[in-house]
Amino acid sequence: MAKIGVFICHCGENIGAKVDCTKLAAAMGEHPGVAVSVEYKYFCSDPGQESVKRAIRENNLTGVVVAACSPRMHEATFRKACAEAGLNPYLCEIANIREQCSWVHTDNGQATEKAMDITRSMVEKVKRNNKLQPIEVPVTRRALVIGGGIAGIQAALDIANAGQEVVLVEREPSLGGHMAQLSETFPTLDCSQCIMTPRMVEAAQHPKIRLLTYSEIESVDGYIGNFSVRVRMKSRYVDIDKCTGCGDCITKCPAKKISSEFDCGLGKRTAIYTPFAQSVPNIPVIDKANCIYFKNGKCKICSKTCQCSAIDFDMPDTFVDLEIGAIVVATGFQVQNNTMYGEYGYGTYPDVINGLQFERLASASGPTAGKIQRPSDGAEPQTVVFIQCAGSRDPSKGVRYCSKICCMYTAKHAMLYAHKVHGGKTHIFYMDIRAAGKGYDEFSRRAIEEDEAAYLRGRVSKVWQENGKLMVRGVDTLLGRPVEIAADMVVLATAIIAQPDAKDFAKTIGIGYDEYGFYNEAHLKLRPVESSTAGVFLAGACQSPKDIPDSVAQASATASKVLALFSKDMLEREPVVATNNEATCAGCWGCVLACPYNAIEQKDILDRSGRIIKRVASVNPGLCQGCGTCVTFCRSNSLDLAGFTEKQIFAEVMGL
Amino acid sequence: MSIEEQYRTRAKELLSGGAVKMVIGYGKGTTASRRRPLFISSPDDVERLVLDDACITNLSGYLVSEGLLSDEKRVAVFLRPEGIRAVNILAAESQLDAEQIVIFGFDVSGTEVRALKGIHVEEFSDVIGSIKEGAPEASEEELFEKIEKMSPQERFSFWQEEFAKCIKCYACRQACPMCYCRRCIVDSNQPQWVNTSSHSLGNFEWNIVRAFHLSGRCVECGNCDRACPVNIPLRLINHRMAEEVLGAFDHFAGMSKTQEPVLASFKKDDSETFIL
Ligand SMILES: Cc1cc2nc3c(=O)[nH]c(=O)nc-3n(C[C@H](O)[C@H](O)[C@H](O)COP(=O)(O)OP(=O)(O)OC[C@H]3O[C@@H](n4cnc5c(N)ncnc54)[C@H](O)[C@@H]3O)c2cc1C
Ligand code: SF4
Ligand code: SF4
Ligand code: SF4
Ligand code: SF4
Repeated sequence: MAKIGVFICHCGENIGAKVDCTKLAAAMGEHPGVAVSVEYKYFCSDPGQESVKRAIRENNLTGVVVAACSPRMHEATFRKACAEAGLNPYLCEIANIREQCSWVHTDNGQATEKAMDITRSMVEKVKRNNKLQPIEVPVTRRALVIGGGIAGIQAALDIANAGQEVVLVEREPSLGGHMAQLSETFPTLDCSQCIMTPRMVEAAQHPKIRLLTYSEIESVDGYIGNFSVRVRMKSRYVDIDKCTGCGDCITKCPAKKISSEFDCGLGKRTAIYTPFAQSVPNIPVIDKANCIYFKNGKCKICSKTCQCSAIDFDMPDTFVDLEIGAIVVATGFQVQNNTMYGEYGYGTYPDVINGLQFERLASASGPTAGKIQRPSDGAEPQTVVFIQCAGSRDPSKGVRYCSKICCMYTAKHAMLYAHKVHGGKTHIFYMDIRAAGKGYDEFSRRAIEEDEAAYLRGRVSKVWQENGKLMVRGVDTLLGRPVEIAADMVVLATAIIAQPDAKDFAKTIGIGYDEYGFYNEAHLKLRPVESSTAGVFLAGACQSPKDIPDSVAQASATASKVLALFSKDMLEREPVVATNNEATCAGCWGCVLACPYNAIEQKDILDRSGRIIKRVASVNPGLCQGCGTCVTFCRSNSLDLAGFTEKQIFAEVMGL
Repeated sequence: MSIEEQYRTRAKELLSGGAVKMVIGYGKGTTASRRRPLFISSPDDVERLVLDDACITNLSGYLVSEGLLSDEKRVAVFLRPEGIRAVNILAAESQLDAEQIVIFGFDVSGTEVRALKGIHVEEFSDVIGSIKEGAPEASEEELFEKIEKMSPQERFSFWQEEFAKCIKCYACRQACPMCYCRRCIVDSNQPQWVNTSSHSLGNFEWNIVRAFHLSGRCVECGNCDRACPVNIPLRLINHRMAEEVLGAFDHFAGMSKTQEPVLASFKKDDSETFIL
């Protein structure tokens, strides 16, 4: 005989103000199989949980229904309380009468009626609940960090410094990401390279970090604690073990006119190259598309120059298979291509550049050795116009969101320019100055007050060339009049966007993303560094536009999540997994295809002499995530999901 | 030589040479206009095979009879294009190995019977492709349109009336080559999702569930429709589902023996973000 306890929570006014809890408790008390039905102001409080435990012991309850908030809030709380009172936790269910009832209804009578339906339906379900035991899976204590920008490096170092193994995968020839390209960084104006390179070196030399640069993730299978990852190490054509990084090959390479990606097209590089002088590892790669030998079979000068015979034109891509327990995704961002704004002349006029290009101009290790020079003729610009939100907050052409860092780096650019070009004039077109952050508003005020950045609130409608000047026409909305400025250089604060392959990459690792391609966190407020896939965490600008302090903070947060995971030998997993009835399975393999986690395998049923009698589907409980996709697919109704069995669901529906 | 003659000769050759262990074809029926399935395993019986415009039943369902193909020997079968599509689906759903099936393909227009060239399913892809492109027969088209033009309420009451006639004999299911499950969902009574009584709710549940189970799989052979003792126009509902999946997913059931089931597969470039 079922002896169900029903515990109705007022949640203060949240439920109590709309649902007549006394009436609900009385009605449930009458329902067949209910032994106890009580109400209380806050069941999640200590005394509330105690009263549930007492009721279980005193009445020998066989099941518990807590009519309260969403199971996402307190299912774990009450299941734990039940377990403490000796009741299998999976015999406890939550009837959500808050989010699905009191919060969404205005009429008290109707809300009470609905609360009764919801609670009754749960009582009917619980009567058919089974005792379940958590599934234990082992944890591989090795983390994979994808992306070697500041976020990835920080996460890798934090995990490694705690004594756990890390594999750090970066697809470019060197670590560093965008931060390596920056000149000086807001809000302190410290030199980016100076603070970045030591971290890159530390990561590369750390005994617990295995660094795989110029490498990409080929596939990810498995689940939390037990991922199998295949990495493709793209051929560098340079043997990483033999090369000493002397750079002779780079000096001798005759293909010198290749536009440098690292310098955003403002500088040139050779076909065998390292992206920048402080690259980590300091081992060059051959850019096959531009190498003279690969193009027409003659040259090999680098190979002749190299004293270590490190160059191998036949080097193939190689693959590394890794057993991984947790993954940190830190793949960063891209800046939007501004050529879509024809009116700003980006791509047409060489002196209209973007913010990242300005960083390279201002960088001491950049193509101009830190001198601000116009790309067209190398002259020092006397008037510079900055255009903020060039792409951001523009639902019609650009992106709807705010890129968050452009206000700050534009203020920084104006300051750097003022420090380098004395007497130069800066004009900044802006929509709002968003300078929230420690020391940020002070920083942008400094640009205005000390470095005389002239902020103009308004948009630019057109940029054109006239008499060797870039004419910028816009509007000053505070004064309510049009303005026209003759500038020598125009800098666009380009929108920060997701990596172009972000969506595809998300599919490779199995995480969610938003409409723009930024990766989705499990909960924006409460689980901001976890993806919705267990064991995969997010750090840095791949989740949303971020500055360095936020990227680093988030990276350290992911490290703490990874370390918490690695602190156990075995992981307990919810036993909510599918099972198959082999007797009725028709072997159509629809479920095998439908399962998004590849958790279903084909299994042969043999007779005594080893002959195949039939083939059926078989669920691997270690892989199954309990999503239920297969259950809905199976036409013969052979699959069932523990904790949400057909019987339970049916009873729930019939209980309504 | 008529096609009937040609196919008899071929059947004889295959059976006497042991290339196939059985030929599933059509034989004389109880009346002059009826044909019934014929299963022959001896070359001496080939004269009993009939092939004319009255051969309409889709015989592919017999191929998945328990144990028939488990000895890995070949079986020959007379099939119209719909039947060939059905073999493709059965192969795609791992119910049979297409290598074991030798096809005697034919098509009927008016009273004329035409041979279809080929032996194995993959040789008929052009024939199947042209059905995908082609329009339904004119007489059917009218009926489809009539139903399409109805308002949702009218259509609901149309089907309510039709389904009210259903006596839950499950002849439609038995006749359908796609209904091969060992235990159909209606036979599952723990819980009893589909009500077995033939009242209006139970009838609706049954017929709608069957339509869903056949969407993206029905080849519109008409077996169910003809089997139904109370003449419910089942082809209409299955045709509608076929159009839905064709429109939404460009899926035409039975295109090839490796075609992924439309409701079990997903493409990684799907624009829906819930697909990981
Ligand atoms: C013009 C400009 C000026 C800025 N100035 C400042 C400033 O002054 N102060 C400040 O705090 N912030 C500044 N920022 C922001 C700063 O650049 C970012 O906060 C920081 O770079 C984010 O680091 P990240 O590691 O998340 O991403 P990234 O720096 O983009 O690094 C991501 C790394 O992942 C790699 N990667 C990507 N995809 C894959 C893949 N599939 N597999 C393997 N590796 C992959 C990339 O190659 C890259 O190395 C500025 C940004 C811009 C655009
Ligand atoms: S979908 Fe159902 S019948 Fe088909 S293989 Fe899976 S469990 Fe078996
Ligand atoms: S419930 Fe089914 S579809 Fe979902 S993960 Fe488990 S086996 Fe795969
Ligand atoms: S549902 Fe009817 S028409 Fe469709 S394949 Fe089955 S028997 Fe043929
Ligand atoms: S054949 Fe007709 S009467 Fe029989 S179950 Fe099917 S629809 Fe109902």
